[in-house]
Amino acid sequence: MGSEIIVVIVVATALIFDFTNGFHDTANVVATSISTRAMPPRVAVGYASILNFVGAFISLEVAATVAKDVVSVNANSIGLLAVFSGLVGAIAWNLITWYFGLPSSSSHALIGGMVGAVFVAEGAENVFFQEGIIGKVMVPAIVAPVLAFIVGGLAIVFLYRITGRLRPGPVTGGFRFGQVISGGLLALAHGTNDAQKTMGVITLALVANGTIAEADFHVPDWVVISSAAAISLGTYVGGWRIIKTMGSRIHKMDAAQGFAAQGAGSTVILAASHVGFPLSTTHTISGAVIGSGAAKRLSAVRWGVAGNIVIAWILTLPAAAFIGGLTFLITRLFGTGAVGPIVVSAAILTGAAILFARRSREGVAPGVVPVTGSPPA
Amino acid sequence: MIATVVDWDAILQVIWVSLLAGVGVTAAYGFALLGSTRALQSGREGRLGGAISYAVVGVLGLAIVIGAIVFGIVILTGD
Repeated sequence: MGSEIIVVIVVATALIFDFTNGFHDTANVVATSISTRAMPPRVAVGYASILNFVGAFISLEVAATVAKDVVSVNANSIGLLAVFSGLVGAIAWNLITWYFGLPSSSSHALIGGMVGAVFVAEGAENVFFQEGIIGKVMVPAIVAPVLAFIVGGLAIVFLYRITGRLRPGPVTGGFRFGQVISGGLLALAHGTNDAQKTMGVITLALVANGTIAEADFHVPDWVVISSAAAISLGTYVGGWRIIKTMGSRIHKMDAAQGFAAQGAGSTVILAASHVGFPLSTTHTISGAVIGSGAAKRLSAVRWGVAGNIVIAWILTLPAAAFIGGLTFLITRLFGTGAVGPIVVSAAILTGAAILFARRSREGVAPGVVPVTGSPPA
Repeated sequence: MIATVVDWDAILQVIWVSLLAGVGVTAAYGFALLGSTRALQSGREGRLGGAISYAVVGVLGLAIVIGAIVFGIVILTGD
Protein backbone atom coordinates (compact mmCIF):
# COMPACT_ATOMS: atom_id res chain seq x y z
CA MET A 1 0.00 0.00 0.00
CA GLY A 2 2.87 2.37 0.94
CA SER A 3 4.48 1.98 -2.48
CA GLU A 4 1.15 2.64 -4.22
CA ILE A 5 0.84 5.93 -2.34
CA ILE A 6 4.39 6.85 -3.39
CA VAL A 7 3.54 6.03 -7.04
CA VAL A 8 0.50 8.31 -6.84
CA ILE A 9 2.66 11.09 -5.34
CA VAL A 10 5.36 10.58 -8.00
CA VAL A 11 2.81 10.66 -10.85
CA ALA A 12 1.15 13.77 -9.42
CA THR A 13 4.55 15.46 -8.93
CA ALA A 14 5.64 14.54 -12.46
CA LEU A 15 2.43 15.94 -13.94
CA ILE A 16 2.83 19.15 -11.92
CA PHE A 17 6.37 19.40 -13.30
CA ASP A 18 4.98 18.85 -16.80
CA PHE A 19 2.34 21.54 -16.23
CA THR A 20 5.00 24.03 -15.05
CA ASN A 21 7.12 23.13 -18.06
CA GLY A 22 4.26 24.08 -20.39
CA PHE A 23 3.47 27.15 -18.27
CA HIS A 24 7.07 28.36 -18.42
CA ASP A 25 7.71 27.53 -22.06
CA THR A 26 4.58 29.10 -23.56
CA ALA A 27 6.58 32.26 -24.07
CA ASN A 28 9.18 30.49 -26.17
CA VAL A 29 6.54 28.89 -28.35
CA VAL A 30 4.15 31.78 -28.96
CA ALA A 31 6.26 34.92 -28.47
CA THR A 32 7.54 35.02 -32.04
CA SER A 33 4.09 34.61 -33.60
CA ILE A 34 2.61 37.28 -31.36
CA SER A 35 5.44 39.78 -31.70
CA THR A 36 5.24 39.70 -35.50
CA ARG A 37 1.42 39.85 -35.33
CA ALA A 38 1.13 36.60 -37.20
CA MET A 39 -1.59 35.59 -34.76
CA PRO A 40 -3.61 37.38 -32.09
CA PRO A 41 -2.35 36.38 -28.61
CA ARG A 42 -5.44 34.40 -27.63
CA VAL A 43 -5.43 32.43 -30.87
CA ALA A 44 -1.67 31.79 -30.63
CA VAL A 45 -1.93 30.46 -27.09
CA GLY A 46 -4.92 28.20 -27.83
CA TYR A 47 -3.28 26.93 -31.01
CA ALA A 48 0.02 26.20 -29.21
CA SER A 49 -1.83 24.43 -26.42
CA ILE A 50 -3.66 22.12 -28.83
CA LEU A 51 -0.51 21.32 -30.81
CA ASN A 52 1.46 20.70 -27.60
CA PHE A 53 -1.16 18.06 -26.79
CA VAL A 54 -0.99 16.51 -30.27
CA GLY A 55 2.82 16.62 -30.30
CA ALA A 56 3.04 14.44 -27.22
CA PHE A 57 1.57 11.55 -29.21
CA ILE A 58 3.87 11.49 -32.20
CA SER A 59 6.97 9.85 -30.76
CA LEU A 60 8.21 7.94 -27.70
CA GLU A 61 11.96 7.89 -28.38
CA VAL A 62 12.78 10.62 -25.85
CA ALA A 63 10.65 8.92 -23.18
CA ALA A 64 12.65 5.73 -23.74
CA THR A 65 15.94 7.62 -23.39
CA VAL A 66 14.88 9.25 -20.12
CA ALA A 67 13.51 6.01 -18.68
CA LYS A 68 16.28 3.62 -19.79
CA ASP A 69 19.45 5.31 -20.99
CA VAL A 70 20.26 7.98 -18.38
CA VAL A 71 19.65 6.13 -15.11
CA SER A 72 18.20 2.81 -14.04
CA VAL A 73 16.38 2.07 -10.80
CA ASN A 74 15.82 -1.18 -8.98
CA ALA A 75 12.26 -2.41 -8.61
CA ASN A 76 11.91 -1.57 -4.92
CA SER A 77 10.91 1.29 -2.63
CA ILE A 78 14.41 2.83 -2.76
CA GLY A 79 14.13 3.12 -6.56
CA LEU A 80 10.72 4.73 -6.21
CA LEU A 81 11.99 7.22 -3.63
CA ALA A 82 14.90 8.03 -5.96
CA VAL A 83 12.51 8.93 -8.79
CA PHE A 84 10.47 11.08 -6.43
CA SER A 85 13.61 12.81 -5.11
CA GLY A 86 14.87 13.47 -8.64
CA LEU A 87 11.60 15.19 -9.51
CA VAL A 88 11.74 17.28 -6.36
CA GLY A 89 15.34 18.23 -7.19
CA ALA A 90 14.21 19.50 -10.59
CA ILE A 91 11.19 21.38 -9.24
CA ALA A 92 13.19 22.94 -6.40
CA TRP A 93 15.92 24.12 -8.78
CA ASN A 94 13.33 25.55 -11.16
CA LEU A 95 11.69 27.42 -8.26
CA ILE A 96 15.01 28.79 -7.02
CA THR A 97 16.11 29.97 -10.46
CA TRP A 98 12.66 31.44 -11.13
CA TYR A 99 12.74 33.35 -7.85
CA PHE A 100 16.23 34.75 -8.30
CA GLY A 101 15.85 35.31 -12.04
CA LEU A 102 18.67 32.90 -12.90
CA PRO A 103 18.77 31.14 -16.25
CA SER A 104 17.74 27.51 -16.19
CA SER A 105 16.45 24.65 -18.25
CA SER A 106 13.59 22.48 -16.99
CA SER A 107 14.84 19.57 -19.07
CA HIS A 108 18.37 19.70 -17.71
CA ALA A 109 17.01 20.18 -14.19
CA LEU A 110 14.88 17.05 -14.56
CA ILE A 111 17.78 14.96 -15.79
CA GLY A 112 20.16 16.45 -13.20
CA GLY A 113 17.68 15.76 -10.40
CA MET A 114 17.26 12.15 -11.50
CA VAL A 115 21.00 11.60 -11.80
CA GLY A 116 21.73 13.04 -8.33
CA ALA A 117 18.94 11.13 -6.61
CA VAL A 118 19.73 7.81 -8.28
CA PHE A 119 23.47 8.29 -7.65
CA VAL A 120 22.84 8.71 -3.92
CA ALA A 121 20.12 6.06 -3.73
CA GLU A 122 21.41 3.29 -5.96
CA GLY A 123 25.08 4.08 -6.51
CA ALA A 124 27.18 5.16 -9.48
CA GLU A 125 26.61 1.91 -11.36
CA ASN A 126 22.95 2.88 -11.93
CA VAL A 127 23.91 6.20 -13.53
CA PHE A 128 25.00 5.93 -17.16
CA PHE A 129 27.47 8.80 -17.22
CA GLN A 130 29.10 8.09 -20.57
CA GLU A 131 26.60 6.86 -23.15
CA GLY A 132 23.62 8.35 -21.31
CA ILE A 133 24.56 11.68 -19.79
CA ILE A 134 27.46 12.70 -22.03
CA GLY A 135 26.29 10.95 -25.21
CA LYS A 136 22.56 11.62 -25.10
CA VAL A 137 22.21 14.72 -22.93
CA MET A 138 25.32 16.91 -22.75
CA VAL A 139 26.63 16.72 -26.31
CA PRO A 140 23.15 17.24 -27.84
CA ALA A 141 22.64 20.07 -25.31
CA ILE A 142 25.59 21.87 -26.88
CA VAL A 143 24.95 20.87 -30.49
CA ALA A 144 21.22 21.75 -30.63
CA PRO A 145 21.29 25.50 -29.82
CA VAL A 146 24.38 26.03 -32.00
CA LEU A 147 22.73 24.13 -34.84
CA ALA A 148 19.50 26.08 -34.40
CA PHE A 149 21.55 29.30 -34.47
CA ILE A 150 23.21 28.28 -37.77
CA VAL A 151 19.96 27.03 -39.36
CA GLY A 152 18.06 30.16 -38.26
CA GLY A 153 20.84 32.39 -39.61
CA LEU A 154 21.14 30.59 -42.95
CA ALA A 155 17.37 30.46 -43.36
CA ILE A 156 16.92 34.20 -42.93
CA VAL A 157 19.83 34.95 -45.29
CA PHE A 158 18.16 32.82 -47.99
CA LEU A 159 14.75 34.35 -47.32
CA TYR A 160 16.06 37.91 -47.63
CA ARG A 161 17.87 36.99 -50.85
CA ILE A 162 14.79 35.34 -52.36
CA THR A 163 12.14 37.86 -51.30
CA GLY A 164 14.22 41.00 -50.68
CA ARG A 165 13.18 42.77 -53.87
CA LEU A 166 9.46 42.15 -53.50
CA ARG A 167 7.02 44.73 -52.18
CA PRO A 168 7.02 44.49 -48.38
CA GLY A 169 3.24 44.37 -47.90
CA PRO A 170 2.37 41.05 -49.56
CA VAL A 171 5.64 39.48 -48.40
CA THR A 172 5.00 40.34 -44.77
CA GLY A 173 1.48 38.94 -45.11
CA GLY A 174 2.90 35.79 -46.66
CA PHE A 175 5.41 35.30 -43.87
CA ARG A 176 2.73 35.91 -41.25
CA PHE A 177 0.70 33.13 -42.86
CA GLY A 178 3.88 31.01 -42.92
CA GLN A 179 4.25 31.59 -39.21
CA VAL A 180 0.89 29.91 -38.63
CA ILE A 181 2.56 26.78 -40.04
CA SER A 182 6.00 27.24 -38.47
CA GLY A 183 4.52 28.27 -35.11
CA GLY A 184 2.32 25.18 -35.19
CA LEU A 185 5.33 22.99 -35.91
CA LEU A 186 7.23 24.61 -33.05
CA ALA A 187 4.38 23.88 -30.63
CA LEU A 188 4.20 20.33 -31.96
CA ALA A 189 7.98 19.92 -31.48
CA HIS A 190 7.81 21.34 -27.96
CA GLY A 191 5.01 18.94 -26.99
CA THR A 192 6.91 16.05 -28.52
CA ASN A 193 10.22 16.56 -26.73
CA ASP A 194 9.13 18.00 -23.39
CA ALA A 195 6.06 15.89 -22.63
CA GLN A 196 8.07 12.76 -23.32
CA LYS A 197 10.49 13.59 -20.51
CA THR A 198 7.62 13.41 -18.04
CA MET A 199 6.41 10.19 -19.66
CA GLY A 200 9.91 8.77 -19.20
CA VAL A 201 10.01 9.69 -15.50
CA ILE A 202 6.54 8.27 -14.77
CA THR A 203 7.48 5.09 -16.62
CA LEU A 204 10.68 4.90 -14.58
CA ALA A 205 8.56 5.10 -11.42
CA LEU A 206 6.31 2.31 -12.71
CA VAL A 207 9.43 0.19 -13.33
CA ALA A 208 10.63 0.92 -9.78
CA ASN A 209 7.22 -0.07 -8.46
CA GLY A 210 7.29 -3.33 -10.43
CA THR A 211 4.19 -2.31 -12.41
CA ILE A 212 6.23 -2.54 -15.63
CA ALA A 213 8.98 -5.14 -16.08
CA GLU A 214 12.28 -3.60 -17.23
CA ALA A 215 12.50 -6.25 -19.97
CA ASP A 216 9.03 -5.30 -21.21
CA PHE A 217 9.58 -1.54 -21.37
CA HIS A 218 6.66 0.42 -22.76
CA VAL A 219 4.96 3.71 -22.02
CA PRO A 220 1.33 3.07 -21.01
CA ASP A 221 -1.37 4.99 -22.87
CA TRP A 222 -2.64 6.72 -19.72
CA VAL A 223 0.88 8.08 -19.14
CA VAL A 224 0.99 9.52 -22.68
CA ILE A 225 -2.49 11.06 -22.39
CA SER A 226 -1.97 12.54 -18.91
CA SER A 227 1.47 13.98 -19.82
CA ALA A 228 0.05 15.47 -23.02
CA ALA A 229 -2.86 17.00 -21.11
CA ALA A 230 -0.61 18.44 -18.37
CA ILE A 231 1.81 20.19 -20.74
CA SER A 232 -1.05 21.41 -22.91
CA LEU A 233 -2.92 22.85 -19.92
CA GLY A 234 0.29 24.45 -18.64
CA THR A 235 0.84 26.07 -22.02
CA TYR A 236 -2.71 27.43 -22.04
CA VAL A 237 -2.59 28.80 -18.49
CA GLY A 238 0.92 30.18 -18.97
CA GLY A 239 -0.25 31.88 -22.13
CA TRP A 240 -2.61 34.17 -20.25
CA ARG A 241 0.30 35.38 -18.13
CA ILE A 242 2.27 36.00 -21.33
CA ILE A 243 -0.59 37.92 -22.91
CA LYS A 244 -0.61 40.26 -19.92
CA THR A 245 3.14 40.91 -19.97
CA MET A 246 3.65 40.75 -23.72
CA GLY A 247 3.18 44.40 -24.57
CA SER A 248 6.15 45.72 -22.66
CA ARG A 249 8.59 42.87 -22.81
CA ILE A 250 8.64 41.47 -26.31
CA HIS A 251 10.56 43.30 -28.96
CA LYS A 252 9.53 43.27 -32.52
CA MET A 253 11.19 41.10 -35.09
CA ASP A 254 10.04 41.00 -38.67
CA ALA A 255 7.78 38.23 -39.92
CA ALA A 256 10.51 36.66 -42.07
CA GLN A 257 12.80 36.40 -39.04
CA GLY A 258 9.98 34.89 -36.98
CA PHE A 259 9.26 32.36 -39.70
CA ALA A 260 12.96 31.43 -40.04
CA ALA A 261 13.46 31.15 -36.27
CA GLN A 262 10.38 29.00 -35.74
CA GLY A 263 11.26 26.79 -38.71
CA ALA A 264 14.84 26.33 -37.46
CA GLY A 265 13.79 25.63 -33.86
CA SER A 266 11.10 23.14 -34.80
CA THR A 267 13.25 21.18 -37.26
CA VAL A 268 16.13 20.81 -34.78
CA ILE A 269 13.79 19.74 -31.94
CA LEU A 270 11.83 17.32 -34.14
CA ALA A 271 14.99 15.78 -35.63
CA ALA A 272 16.46 15.36 -32.14
CA SER A 273 13.20 13.85 -30.85
CA HIS A 274 13.30 11.32 -33.68
CA VAL A 275 16.65 9.96 -32.44
CA GLY A 276 15.65 10.23 -28.76
CA PHE A 277 17.70 13.22 -27.56
CA PRO A 278 16.04 15.03 -24.64
CA LEU A 279 16.86 18.65 -25.47
CA SER A 280 16.35 21.93 -23.73
CA THR A 281 13.66 23.30 -26.01
CA THR A 282 14.15 26.76 -24.49
CA HIS A 283 17.84 26.82 -25.43
CA THR A 284 17.15 25.49 -28.92
CA ILE A 285 14.44 28.04 -29.67
CA SER A 286 16.63 30.82 -28.23
CA GLY A 287 19.50 29.69 -30.48
CA ALA A 288 17.23 29.89 -33.53
CA VAL A 289 15.92 33.35 -32.61
CA ILE A 290 19.43 34.66 -31.94
CA GLY A 291 20.62 33.17 -35.26
CA SER A 292 17.87 34.80 -37.27
CA GLY A 293 18.53 38.12 -35.53
CA ALA A 294 22.32 37.93 -35.86
CA ALA A 295 22.12 37.26 -39.60
CA LYS A 296 20.26 40.54 -40.07
CA ARG A 297 22.16 42.75 -37.67
CA LEU A 298 24.60 41.61 -34.99
CA SER A 299 23.77 44.55 -32.74
CA ALA A 300 20.08 43.56 -32.73
CA VAL A 301 20.87 40.52 -30.64
CA ARG A 302 20.92 40.68 -26.90
CA TRP A 303 24.04 38.59 -26.49
CA GLY A 304 23.55 38.47 -22.74
CA VAL A 305 20.83 35.89 -23.36
CA ALA A 306 23.37 33.68 -25.13
CA GLY A 307 25.64 34.09 -22.11
CA ASN A 308 22.73 33.12 -19.85
CA ILE A 309 22.28 29.91 -21.81
CA VAL A 310 25.93 29.01 -21.21
CA ILE A 311 25.56 29.74 -17.49
CA ALA A 312 22.43 27.57 -17.43
CA TRP A 313 24.35 24.75 -19.11
CA ILE A 314 27.05 24.88 -16.46
CA LEU A 315 24.83 25.34 -13.41
CA THR A 316 21.64 23.38 -13.93
CA LEU A 317 22.78 19.74 -14.12
CA PRO A 318 25.05 19.74 -11.04
CA ALA A 319 22.77 21.98 -8.96
CA ALA A 320 19.64 19.92 -9.65
CA ALA A 321 21.67 16.74 -9.08
CA PHE A 322 22.82 18.05 -5.70
CA ILE A 323 19.27 18.92 -4.64
CA GLY A 324 17.96 15.58 -5.93
CA GLY A 325 20.57 13.68 -3.92
CA LEU A 326 19.93 15.78 -0.81
CA THR A 327 16.17 15.28 -1.17
CA PHE A 328 16.67 11.51 -1.26
CA LEU A 329 18.70 11.63 1.98
CA ILE A 330 16.00 13.75 3.66
CA THR A 331 13.19 11.51 2.38
CA ARG A 332 15.06 8.43 3.54
CA LEU A 333 15.19 9.79 7.11
CA PHE A 334 11.49 8.90 7.31
CA GLY A 335 12.04 5.31 6.21
CA THR A 336 11.06 3.71 2.90
CA GLY A 337 7.31 4.28 3.14
CA ALA A 338 5.07 7.10 2.02
CA VAL A 339 5.77 9.38 5.01
CA GLY A 340 8.99 10.82 3.54
CA PRO A 341 7.44 11.79 0.17
CA ILE A 342 4.39 13.25 1.94
CA VAL A 343 6.55 15.39 4.25
CA VAL A 344 8.87 16.50 1.42
CA SER A 345 5.90 17.27 -0.87
CA ALA A 346 4.32 19.38 1.86
CA ALA A 347 7.64 21.18 2.37
CA ILE A 348 8.12 21.93 -1.34
CA LEU A 349 4.52 23.11 -1.70
CA THR A 350 4.97 25.41 1.30
CA GLY A 351 8.27 26.68 -0.10
CA ALA A 352 6.67 27.31 -3.49
CA ALA A 353 3.74 29.17 -1.89
CA ILE A 354 6.14 31.38 0.10
CA LEU A 355 8.23 32.19 -2.99
CA PHE A 356 5.13 32.98 -5.06
CA ALA A 357 3.73 35.18 -2.29
CA ARG A 358 7.02 37.09 -1.94
CA ARG A 359 7.27 37.55 -5.70
CA SER A 360 3.68 38.78 -5.86
CA ARG A 361 4.32 41.28 -3.06
CA GLU A 362 7.39 42.55 -4.89
CA GLY A 363 5.19 42.97 -7.96
CA VAL A 364 7.71 41.45 -10.33
CA ALA A 365 6.10 39.39 -13.03
CA PRO A 366 8.48 36.85 -14.46
CA GLY A 367 8.07 37.20 -18.15
CA VAL A 368 9.55 36.73 -21.52
CA VAL A 369 13.20 37.40 -22.09
CA PRO A 370 13.59 38.85 -25.53
CA VAL A 371 16.65 37.73 -27.42
CA THR A 372 16.58 40.37 -30.11
CA GLY A 373 15.88 44.05 -30.03
CA SER A 374 16.82 46.62 -27.45
CA PRO A 375 16.72 45.93 -23.73
CA PRO A 376 13.40 46.69 -22.05
CA ALA A 377 13.08 50.21 -20.72
CA MET B 1 36.43 9.41 -24.51
CA ILE B 2 33.64 11.59 -25.94
CA ALA B 3 34.36 10.24 -29.40
CA THR B 4 33.43 6.73 -28.30
CA VAL B 5 30.39 7.41 -26.10
CA VAL B 6 28.52 9.76 -28.43
CA ASP B 7 26.21 8.34 -31.07
CA TRP B 8 27.72 10.41 -33.88
CA ASP B 9 25.43 8.84 -36.47
CA ALA B 10 22.43 10.22 -34.59
CA ILE B 11 24.11 13.62 -34.12
CA LEU B 12 24.98 13.81 -37.82
CA GLN B 13 21.43 12.79 -38.70
CA VAL B 14 20.06 15.64 -36.58
CA ILE B 15 22.51 18.07 -38.22
CA TRP B 16 21.81 17.20 -41.85
CA VAL B 17 18.06 16.83 -41.38
CA SER B 18 17.89 20.19 -39.58
CA LEU B 19 19.95 21.93 -42.23
CA LEU B 20 18.00 20.38 -45.09
CA ALA B 21 14.56 20.88 -43.57
CA GLY B 22 15.23 24.14 -41.70
CA VAL B 23 16.99 25.93 -44.53
CA GLY B 24 15.54 24.06 -47.52
CA VAL B 25 11.89 24.22 -46.53
CA THR B 26 12.21 27.84 -45.43
CA ALA B 27 13.82 28.72 -48.77
CA ALA B 28 11.09 26.77 -50.60
CA TYR B 29 8.49 28.87 -48.79
CA GLY B 30 10.41 31.97 -49.88
CA PHE B 31 10.15 30.78 -53.49
CA ALA B 32 6.43 30.13 -52.98
CA LEU B 33 6.04 33.76 -51.90
CA LEU B 34 8.25 35.01 -54.73
CA GLY B 35 6.34 32.97 -57.29
CA SER B 36 2.87 33.93 -56.12
CA THR B 37 3.69 37.64 -55.73
CA ARG B 38 5.40 37.92 -59.10
CA ALA B 39 2.73 35.81 -60.82
CA LEU B 40 0.01 38.21 -59.64
CA GLN B 41 2.11 41.20 -60.66
CA SER B 42 2.84 39.75 -64.12
CA GLY B 43 -0.83 38.87 -64.57
CA ARG B 44 -1.86 42.44 -63.75
CA GLU B 45 0.66 43.72 -66.30
CA GLY B 46 -0.69 41.32 -68.94
CA ARG B 47 2.48 39.20 -69.20
CA LEU B 48 0.86 35.77 -69.37
CA GLY B 49 4.09 33.81 -69.94
CA GLY B 50 5.77 35.40 -66.96
CA ALA B 51 2.69 34.89 -64.82
CA ILE B 52 2.55 31.18 -65.65
CA SER B 53 6.30 30.71 -65.02
CA TYR B 54 6.13 32.43 -61.65
CA ALA B 55 2.96 30.54 -60.73
CA VAL B 56 4.80 27.27 -61.39
CA VAL B 57 7.64 28.43 -59.11
CA GLY B 58 5.11 29.34 -56.42
CA VAL B 59 3.22 26.07 -56.65
CA LEU B 60 6.44 24.05 -56.61
CA GLY B 61 7.71 25.92 -53.55
CA LEU B 62 4.45 25.35 -51.70
CA ALA B 63 4.38 21.67 -52.74
CA ILE B 64 7.88 21.19 -51.31
CA VAL B 65 6.85 22.81 -48.02
CA ILE B 66 3.69 20.71 -47.64
CA GLY B 67 5.44 17.53 -48.80
CA ALA B 68 8.33 18.00 -46.36
CA ILE B 69 6.00 18.61 -43.40
CA VAL B 70 3.84 15.57 -44.18
CA PHE B 71 6.93 13.42 -44.77
CA GLY B 72 8.51 14.57 -41.49
CA ILE B 73 5.39 13.82 -39.44
CA VAL B 74 5.00 10.40 -41.06
CA ILE B 75 8.64 9.58 -40.19
CA LEU B 76 8.17 10.79 -36.60
CA THR B 77 4.95 8.89 -35.99
CA GLY B 78 6.66 5.74 -37.20
CA ASP B 79 8.94 5.78 -34.11
